[in-house]
Amino acid sequence: MKKYLTFLWDCFRLSFVGDWRYHLWMTLLTVVTLAGLYAYCQQLVHGLVATGMTDQVSWGLYIANFTYLVGLAAAAAMLVIPVYVYRNLHLHDVVIFGELLAVAVILMCLLFVTVDLGRPDRFMHLFLRFNFPMSMLTWDVIALNGYLVLNLHICGYLIYCAYCGRQPSAVFYVPFVFVAIAWAVSIHTVTAFLYVGLGGRPFWNSAIIAPRFLASAFAAGPAFIILTLQIVRRYTSHQVSDDALLTLRRIVQVALLINLFLLVCELFTEFYTDSAHVASARYLYFGLGGQNALVPWIWTAVGMNVVATTCFMLPASRSLGTLNAACVLAIVAIWIEKGMGLIVPAFIPTPLGEIVEYTPTLHEVLICLGIWAFGLLVYTIFVRVSVPVLAGQITYENRRPREGARVP
Amino acid sequence: MTQPIGSAANRARAFWVPAVLFLCAAVLVLNPLPFVSPVVPASPIAAWVTDPTPVERPKLRPEYTVAVFDYRCSDCHRIIPSPAETDRRLTQHREIELVHGINTRCFNCHHRTNRDAFADDAGDEIPWDQPQRLCAKCHGPVYRDWQHGSHGRTNGYWDSAQGPQTRRKCIECHNPHRPTFRPMHPAPGPNTLRMGPQDHSAHAEVHDPLRLKRTAGHHGEPAAHQ
Amino acid sequence: MADLHARTESDQTPAAAAPELTRRNFLSQGAAALAGVTAVAAAVSPLRHLSAEHVPNLDEFLQKHYKEMTAEDKQRVFARISQEVQQRHQVQARLSDPPPLDGVEYVYGLNLSRCIGCRKCVHACVEENNQSRSPEIQYIRVLEMEKGSIDLETADHHYDPASVPNPDKYYMPVQCHQCANPPCVKVCPVEATWQEPDGIVVIDYDWCIGCRYCEAACPYWARRFNFADPQIPSDKLNPNMAYLSNRPRERGVMEKCTFCLQRTRVGRMPACLEVCPTGSRKFGNVLDPNSEVAYILQHKRVFVLKEDVGTIPRFFYYFDERGGRYREPVASPDVGGEA
Repeated sequence: MKKYLTFLWDCFRLSFVGDWRYHLWMTLLTVVTLAGLYAYCQQLVHGLVATGMTDQVSWGLYIANFTYLVGLAAAAAMLVIPVYVYRNLHLHDVVIFGELLAVAVILMCLLFVTVDLGRPDRFMHLFLRFNFPMSMLTWDVIALNGYLVLNLHICGYLIYCAYCGRQPSAVFYVPFVFVAIAWAVSIHTVTAFLYVGLGGRPFWNSAIIAPRFLASAFAAGPAFIILTLQIVRRYTSHQVSDDALLTLRRIVQVALLINLFLLVCELFTEFYTDSAHVASARYLYFGLGGQNALVPWIWTAVGMNVVATTCFMLPASRSLGTLNAACVLAIVAIWIEKGMGLIVPAFIPTPLGEIVEYTPTLHEVLICLGIWAFGLLVYTIFVRVSVPVLAGQITYENRRPREGARVP
Repeated sequence: MTQPIGSAANRARAFWVPAVLFLCAAVLVLNPLPFVSPVVPASPIAAWVTDPTPVERPKLRPEYTVAVFDYRCSDCHRIIPSPAETDRRLTQHREIELVHGINTRCFNCHHRTNRDAFADDAGDEIPWDQPQRLCAKCHGPVYRDWQHGSHGRTNGYWDSAQGPQTRRKCIECHNPHRPTFRPMHPAPGPNTLRMGPQDHSAHAEVHDPLRLKRTAGHHGEPAAHQ
Repeated sequence: MADLHARTESDQTPAAAAPELTRRNFLSQGAAALAGVTAVAAAVSPLRHLSAEHVPNLDEFLQKHYKEMTAEDKQRVFARISQEVQQRHQVQARLSDPPPLDGVEYVYGLNLSRCIGCRKCVHACVEENNQSRSPEIQYIRVLEMEKGSIDLETADHHYDPASVPNPDKYYMPVQCHQCANPPCVKVCPVEATWQEPDGIVVIDYDWCIGCRYCEAACPYWARRFNFADPQIPSDKLNPNMAYLSNRPRERGVMEKCTFCLQRTRVGRMPACLEVCPTGSRKFGNVLDPNSEVAYILQHKRVFVLKEDVGTIPRFFYYFDERGGRYREPVASPDVGGEA
């Protein structure tokens, strides 16, 4: 136990150590997180009226970000598949970063749900009366928290073993890794089922939502990891081979193609049928009743998606510059598609045909940025801590010299 | 081989971090983003909007008001003889406008000799407080619906065992001489939180989804599916 | 090796620190810690404006779900609510908890041939059920529909002509249908909303966590959320309250039409029906074969909204056209003119 507390203390101290770029990055993230915290406190004081949500559009930016990040969390753990299932050792050394990203991102998801609640002080009601298995939200609570615990265990165990200087024993993490693979798929499927099971929202009530979720998640997640691995490579001593990045590129290629295909399927089904159920899709892509706030967003997203997919398919994306640009395009496009392009249009028009558009307020945006900054902060700390510990530079044994005793 | 975490160079550079955080704290304390409430105060609702009194407030008594006095109908009509049937001019009660479809004969409803009563099909009297028997003479289906409660107003208690249930009579909603239910001004429409502009006048042309308003010579452009 | 050191100066382990550096270390670390704490305190400083009524006291925090409350629990809770009403509005509230009546299942009928779209029901409901005036919450929404279509997309919610009814339209008020297969009950994660034996879907306002999943699930847009503190004018407050229906709600929880259970469970008509000038609203116990609603269900061509969604509503619409909506004649028949 004492060793574990020392480990945590060492991690804590280590997260404050770095060069000026590190401090600048962390300070920037801290400032944004604090701004988000400030905006959330204002929301606590005044209520959810501080957001742009209404009875007509009752879920907005928070749930949009939540949906996107659940996908990211699912995909982060999917790095595991090539390594553990297909024995693709290119990715072996970077799996841990995927798992750590999953932890940070799940924390962000939980925060997004918390800030969306009207009465967060009553969250413990979930433990007292839990509408399982009828409510998909309860499944989501179990799935997300279970996933968090799973990944915390896997990462924590591996890092702690490295800290203690002993070989991790396979039985304590390999089975959990395989469970995490299945669990990763399930968290995003369950989140998709939250929306799919509602007959009153025809925009969501489609079987294709869950596969689209997974496809876009497996595009955005590995794209995000491609970018973060390059940052890890540049600013830490951890080696990341180009082969790892190219393997991830393959994953993103396939996922983007499938995502684009599913988008085409959805558009065809909606617009060719041209029934009353198409109203929300019509609002999103073309505007409805003169209201068309989301139209530029979605077409930008579709355009970026197509460009990113094309880019990824071309050999030119083997070069890191093009690859990075295509990754950014994919990440942003999928964020728009899943956030504004999925959550908000389902509420417009309302089930009674009213059109009330949604614009997030500044407070809402600040809270979202704050949570994103917090997640990046947590992830940076994870990377900052795990790289030297896994490399054997920070261990329990060599802690004594680090406590200020004289060394030659 | 390794260098100190807390090296002087490192620490010196990191002094700007507390400075930035203090600055951040100072800015946040000054409330840089105050909350501006989008809630608009409600406009008051006129009293008639929540008034449950039936629209026609009939006397349910055979009375006629002249100046400030309420006369029973028979007070005058005992004395004054009725004109011949063929003479359709009204010399009194000229303010009454009879717009009752094809029912243009006063004595279809009013008893010829006893103006305190109505007339049924056989010419016998219907008491003034049972106008529904009168209306039932011609409006059979509506009357049956009214008897079962699916036409007209029932106020008070749905469970008559727990309290009084009031079935409103015909003339509490329908002016017998002009029975079409009078149009009224609607109460104010919704004005919900952050509702945004809701002017639909420009899109009136889309409100014919089943193209029921096609006319000859007008090929009927396809109504936008809205 | 050298460049490895240069790149990895962050992976350092501290060597011995000379005493001066230790003091400086202490100061700089202290300054950083103080700055951090100050910044966090500044960030949460808006909470100083949080009024006491928005912070739950221990009793409220530990309050049980309605279905688990004993009679004493309920008494305590009702006393607390009455006291809050007294404090806020200077009105003595009469808080009741009418149980569902035996052998009763409510059904609502709505005669679309008679509704003239006057919206009196909307405002009577607001007054009866103590709904917020600003921001405005109204359980009932009256739709002006095109004749020939029951597509709700064509509805106009914001009609405001000089007089209603417009003879070319028909009017369809929509409120909670208290569905027999309610999607809102299905999705609530904490069971804050459930269906009572008499058919009414109720909400325990003190249990709701405000996730708004039920609002997303309702196909009739019948549920409302308190985004802000509800404002009710004290002179319009209805003191006859029931715990599950029209007692004042707080921000952050859902609410909706409850068929005025504070009235209907003691045998009275709901407020919307009482005020309706044309008698288009019909309410009663469908299990009673002599009730108005039983007659309507048997003899009128009733239909429900969005039947295909499978909610099995207990709100039945029907047309009862007889000659259509009249337009006023141009000239009245000549009574009082020449024979």
